[in-house]
Amino acid sequence: MACLHDHSCEEHDCSSDWSLYKHIDLSKVSALNEAVSGSVKSVFRAWEQRLNSSEGHLESNEGDPELIVFIPFTSDVKIKSISVVGGADGTSPAKMRAFINRDGIDFSDAQNMQPVQEWDLVENLQGVLEYQTRYSRFQSVGNITLHFPENFGGETCQIHYIGLKGEATQLKRDVVATIVYEVMPNPSDHKTRAETGGGLSQVE
Amino acid sequence: MRNGDYSPNRFQAQTDTVNLICGAKTQLNPENTVGVLTMAGKGVRVLVTPTSDLGKILACMHGLEIGSEMNLAAGIQVAQLALKHRQNKKQQQRIIVFAGGPVKYDKKMLEMIGRKLKKNSIALDVVNFGEEDEGKAEKLEALVAAVNNNDSSHVVHVPPGPSALSDVLISSPIFTGDGEGGSSFAAAAAGGVSGFEFGVDPNLDPELALALRVSMEEERARQEAAAEEAAKQESGEHSASQDATISENVNTGTTEPENKSKDQMDDENAFLQQALAMSMGDSSSAVATRDTEMSEATTDDHDLQLGENLCWLAKFHFLTCVLFSFVFSLSLLTIRSDVVHYPLCLYLCSILLMLLVIFLQYCCFP
Repeated sequence: MACLHDHSCEEHDCSSDWSLYKHIDLSKVSALNEAVSGSVKSVFRAWEQRLNSSEGHLESNEGDPELIVFIPFTSDVKIKSISVVGGADGTSPAKMRAFINRDGIDFSDAQNMQPVQEWDLVENLQGVLEYQTRYSRFQSVGNITLHFPENFGGETCQIHYIGLKGEATQLKRDVVATIVYEVMPNPSDHKTRAETGGGLSQVE
Repeated sequence: MRNGDYSPNRFQAQTDTVNLICGAKTQLNPENTVGVLTMAGKGVRVLVTPTSDLGKILACMHGLEIGSEMNLAAGIQVAQLALKHRQNKKQQQRIIVFAGGPVKYDKKMLEMIGRKLKKNSIALDVVNFGEEDEGKAEKLEALVAAVNNNDSSHVVHVPPGPSALSDVLISSPIFTGDGEGGSSFAAAAAGGVSGFEFGVDPNLDPELALALRVSMEEERARQEAAAEEAAKQESGEHSASQDATISENVNTGTTEPENKSKDQMDDENAFLQQALAMSMGDSSSAVATRDTEMSEATTDDHDLQLGENLCWLAKFHFLTCVLFSFVFSLSLLTIRSDVVHYPLCLYLCSILLMLLVIFLQYCCFP
């Protein structure tokens, strides 16, 4: 479902609605099939900067337009709608499938699993289109995985901006299960005084 | 695989190298896990699922049989599946393939497999040894080129030769591509010590490990200096030999008390100079070893002296603070002899004394 958002409205300031990017845990964002490792982090910006991709954009490998983007949040969020700005010449993604609160989805999983919601995208180079979500299903989202299986016929799939609109709750999901505790102490994690200088050692 | 072109035979060389790699990876980071599978025989068989327990990995390498042909594609696919179901999703995925037999798949198929691995961000290392099939090296190169993302995947070709397979691989990017940790383990393994640098656990004894590391660096600097001196000696400079003579003196004198008389030095000087000139003519390496011993002896001395100084200083400080507090309390009492506050004064003085002692202790031992 796509709705046209007329940007010349003065009633509300659009940028504050699209502020969910502040709640994204950028260090843990990852993507599969990206040409340049780590380029996915440049895709999350403020609404005003959505067309300014001077810091780089996300591009898939040559000849393979599939992409998976894994977005974890610092607290649970409610997502109202998603906006995606693609690249020119048929490199924009054509379909988007979303999975919620799942870790470690790869391409074979993404193709076999039923997504929480699926959209057909259109080329949206100006960033004026947003795709609404079935809000009841996106109520407490700890992380979201977006899978873009096809594009509009280009060699690669380019994404310049992903915007998320919604609210952030201050709650955090129960993350105890996902913590891996230290199996064995790693000496390089616990630098004692003795390693930095002479004298008697004291573990602090 | 029973062929003896790799010592002792191909299969044994492969087993040894696998054990070495597993050890290196588990040492590198305690959260690393390693699994092993075989791809020849009846079919692909996972011997041990990814675990950080080195004992289990070494145990599973026993009782393996040689037979049939290797199935590279199936092996890689099963490895991919095993990695997909790892417990800790944050771990990076990597497959290391030992390709001893001929590769019966064509280049296109292997490139497709490579692209699929790259897409799922799995790195691949290939060790090409054993059977030298026509086109095998090219096929494996093409496979690794298809997987390679940012130099994370490597292929190493090991031709048959006198050196062991594991030795050749220790210096390859498969071991050292991970950074410092891999190379230090490799160096230790080559030296035949336990997994730690210098055979000392930095957890148990950090000072000893630090001292050993420092003395190792000093020895290296000494060796370079000695090499320079030897070069100077060959070109015919006299002063270098004198320096070496004096250092020899210090070496012999470490067991005796530090204060030596000048005459002793002069007597031994001429004698030692002769001996040194003779030995210098033979080989410059002998000087290097002597210098090594000397450097270690002097570092021990320094440590002893430092310890002694510290003790003495501490005692001195303690005595002075006791004396001071005693004098202070006395003066207090004499001044206020009419005031009946003796117990309070004594109490205050004792507190002062304690505080002073603690304060100075912290000063001495920071």
